[in-house]
Amino acid sequence: MVTALALAIWPSGRVAAQDSQFGIKGLGTPGRWESVRARSTGGAFAPFDPFSPLTDASLADARRMSASITGGTSWRTLEPTGAAQASSLRATRFPALVIAGPVTRRIVVGGGFATYLDRTFGVRIQDTIDLRGVQEPVTDEITSDGAVTDLRLAAAARLHTRLALGLGFHLLTGSTRVVATRSFADSTNYRNSTARDEVAYSGAGGSASLLLDVTRDVRLAGWLRSDSRLRADIGGRQVAENDLPFSYGAGLQWRAGAQAAVAGTVMWRNWRGASPADSNSHDTLNWSVGAEIGSLGTPLRFGVRGGQLPFGVGQAPSEVAYSAGLGRQFSGGRGRLDIGLERLERKGTALTERVWTFLVGLTVRP
Amino acid sequence: MGRFGWLLPVLAAAACTENATAPGVCPTFCPSGSISIKDTIFGAIIERDSSFRGYLQGYQATLMTAADSPGVVDSRSFFTTETMITRIAPKAGDTTTVPIVVDSVRLRFIIAQRDKQATNLGLKLFQLPITVDSTSDFASLDPSFTAPPLDSVNITNLLAQAKTTDTAVIRFWSDSVRIDSAGNVLRVQADSSLLLFLKLDTLQAPLSPPDSGRLAYGIRVAADSFARLSLVTEQTSAGAGPQLHWYYHYTIPDTISTKPDSVVYADRVATTRFDSFVFDPPSAAIDSNLAVGGVPSARSLLRVAMPKFLHDSIDVVRATLILVPVSPVRGIARDSFAIEGRNVTADLGAKSPLGTTFATTFIHVGSADTVQLELTNLVRAWSLDTTQVTSLFLRQLPEAASYAQARFYSSRAPAFRPALHVTYVHRFQFGGP
Repeated sequence: MVTALALAIWPSGRVAAQDSQFGIKGLGTPGRWESVRARSTGGAFAPFDPFSPLTDASLADARRMSASITGGTSWRTLEPTGAAQASSLRATRFPALVIAGPVTRRIVVGGGFATYLDRTFGVRIQDTIDLRGVQEPVTDEITSDGAVTDLRLAAAARLHTRLALGLGFHLLTGSTRVVATRSFADSTNYRNSTARDEVAYSGAGGSASLLLDVTRDVRLAGWLRSDSRLRADIGGRQVAENDLPFSYGAGLQWRAGAQAAVAGTVMWRNWRGASPADSNSHDTLNWSVGAEIGSLGTPLRFGVRGGQLPFGVGQAPSEVAYSAGLGRQFSGGRGRLDIGLERLERKGTALTERVWTFLVGLTVRP
Repeated sequence: MGRFGWLLPVLAAAACTENATAPGVCPTFCPSGSISIKDTIFGAIIERDSSFRGYLQGYQATLMTAADSPGVVDSRSFFTTETMITRIAPKAGDTTTVPIVVDSVRLRFIIAQRDKQATNLGLKLFQLPITVDSTSDFASLDPSFTAPPLDSVNITNLLAQAKTTDTAVIRFWSDSVRIDSAGNVLRVQADSSLLLFLKLDTLQAPLSPPDSGRLAYGIRVAADSFARLSLVTEQTSAGAGPQLHWYYHYTIPDTISTKPDSVVYADRVATTRFDSFVFDPPSAAIDSNLAVGGVPSARSLLRVAMPKFLHDSIDVVRATLILVPVSPVRGIARDSFAIEGRNVTADLGAKSPLGTTFATTFIHVGSADTVQLELTNLVRAWSLDTTQVTSLFLRQLPEAASYAQARFYSSRAPAFRPALHVTYVHRFQFGGP
């Protein structure tokens, strides 16, 4: 628990989601506000899962003090169109943490962090330039390590036995360590040039969500979120300011008996409105469908998701992912370990990304 | 392990190392900023440059040069040795002394530099008056150097000799050596310098009680061409200069020994007392150009007026000082010497104290090419630290060890003045998408 709390107040670049080359030209790669359980169902269970930071109303289901952390390791392959060489990348991230507990019989308060935008990438560019009349091979390496982190404080109230309302305040923070290095093949005469900086991000946002139990087996979720402008500072000096998108979505969950549930979600985000001057920004519509079957102690999950990415040259890059996972309770239900595996493919102008992600989640109820 | 054993591979996978860098697919998947580089020759950045002479004299140098190129230069080395005992007390504590009798003498030199292509490279030894000192010049020593030599040795021939394989000889000399018919010995050291031992008799190295056993010798060099070599002096380190190794014996009288007239053999080393070299023609006087080298040694002080933008938002990746020679350096063909550019910690003119950042390049005798000295480290330091003194000294290495002197155009010659060629990278603009 102490570790979890420490992680909660640690807005470091290591708290990141899944990197993508499609985020380099834009503000970054949007994070997934999902626990391992929700992610294993393609994200379809996220609006109904109290340990997924997507909605605040779902916290109303956390009837005991609980904490959950998500971690994942991804292996990413880049296949540029027409380029001879594919490359493989690796990353380990802790994209979400949620702590929640009831303060009264009807009100639950929670918080934690999630990745808002991942800004971790590195590009290596080789070129030959004319220096002093000589063709000089050079290698540029530009790296960014960090993310914009969403620190959330939220409350959910059960207004009625069938209706829960959630409200959240979001503080966007975090930083990226950025390094640009030029190295020369002729290292005898030319010294490498390295520039380093740390870009700090700040912003704020608010969210609201509802959970409505239409019947005993059917549950509806709706949510919306609005964020302020994202400010980027270097050494206390503002270097950029960008609008952030308004987003909303809805979800439906159906419990088909005691050992099966199916859910689906759809979410829209107006990234184009956030950066109207940037022709490489796109509005995104993302959907997901998933199911969880089996007992509460050892469920089996699977799902599929699809949609667009907000940044990319020309048309919006598309993504589709298939995921599956398992869960296992231990210590009499006081703890739960979830694992998941996701296969993701992103396609855009001039690039295809394929990602395998192995997810591990731990939930404890002391 | 037990029921949670399957957690191990899970944790191992999670602990994998990061690799987030991939070949860039630009411009589509690269940051909008780029690393831009500029290359500029600052023609008027060197200002208030001056030359000064007198830092080191020939007798303070770590090498002394002997060279002979008719019509170009004639350089001659000389030295005096420390005193040598002429009598010895045969018994410790006894006030009675007996004379020593010299059997033989070996004169040792360390030849640090020579032209390896020279043929019939020879060394001639001349007797000089022991009164030679720092006031001796080429003219005053010329009679001694034009007299018949005491001895001579052909170094090329010695080098052509096979190494001795006699274990007794190797044990005595501590290494394989080459020996000529006159008994002169040559040993090639690991750093390719030569240890030369001349065998002298008592006429060539007389032990003179009035002179306290001191001797003075001069050295000239000869070869079919490229006659030049440099000898290590006592200034390099104690005992590194020429040495006289006296081998002698004395007789212990019957009155103080149980054995009748026993003979004792011993040896003693006399190190260098003074060494220097003289040459003709002498180094040219300082004028409006920049002089580097010669004897007494000359240095040039260059002051660099760094433009403000070289301090801001740039990163110097290469800086080259460009110097245009007034004329080719005179000397023996195929010879070269190093010049060093070294920062100063305070600009006090001729007496500016030297700093620790330096760069070197070689200047070749007879070449009129522009000299380029890489000052990247120095200019980078100036660029980053505005408190540093942006001046540097140019000097020869080693100083005052050779007649060779380079002369470059100064800032007073607008068409050929020194310039600084700087290649720099603009600071990358972070923060944007």
